[in-house]
Amino acid sequence: MSMSNYGGGGGGGGGMGGGSSRDGGRRSKFGRFGARRREVLPEEPLDYKNIAYLSKFVSANGRIQSRKRTGFSGQNQRQLAEAIKRARLIGLMPFVGRM
Amino acid sequence: MQRTRTYECMCLLDNREVRKGWQPLKDAITALFTKHGAKILSGPRWDERRLAYPMAGQHRGTYLLIYLSVDTQAVAAIRRDLQFNESLLRWLLVDCAEVPQTAYEPEADFDVNAIPADDAPAPEPEPVAAPEPEAEAVAETKTEA
Repeated sequence: MSMSNYGGGGGGGGGMGGGSSRDGGRRSKFGRFGARRREVLPEEPLDYKNIAYLSKFVSANGRIQSRKRTGFSGQNQRQLAEAIKRARLIGLMPFVGRM
Repeated sequence: MQRTRTYECMCLLDNREVRKGWQPLKDAITALFTKHGAKILSGPRWDERRLAYPMAGQHRGTYLLIYLSVDTQAVAAIRRDLQFNESLLRWLLVDCAEVPQTAYEPEADFDVNAIPADDAPAPEPEPVAAPEPEAEAVAETKTEA
């Protein structure tokens, strides 16, 4: 696999291959995606009993969504994962699939 | 060193045991905690619902949510007792910062005879939306042209 398969991101990165960006300067290869990320705060408490809200962050196969999708901070993402795992354990949420 | 903390215990009860009598079962569960010196702050019935997946051949269960204050040294013994209790399908004992006000609300009447049978059919899934007739009509007109 060649390096050109990495970091393409849909071809939006203006600095790839040493090209110039819109503002004329060269962009760093690293940190392009993180710079635009805006932290999302949970609208409801991340509690294992709050199944309706937790279900929003579970895929159709029952997998927990990544931080990239949820937009949560590291602390909130860990709380989310913990709450979903607790809900699964107690039988409120399925391990596989959606309710 | 003694240190008291507040815990939250969610107990999933077997409906076969619940049908025999709710209050005796609830007393038996709370006695598990009090015998280790725990103080029960609140113990409402949380819900009776269909489980996300079958456990011990059961598709439905009753949840009991207990808030308790207990010495941290006694938690291991409580966990051991919960593990040996056969009327519990699952339990979850977690640390709790504070007891929510909703936990102190009076418990609604619970008629054990009104619990649906375990083999009651699951709620029907939402019907799949049929393709829009307009799109088909447009496609037909295109083919005619």
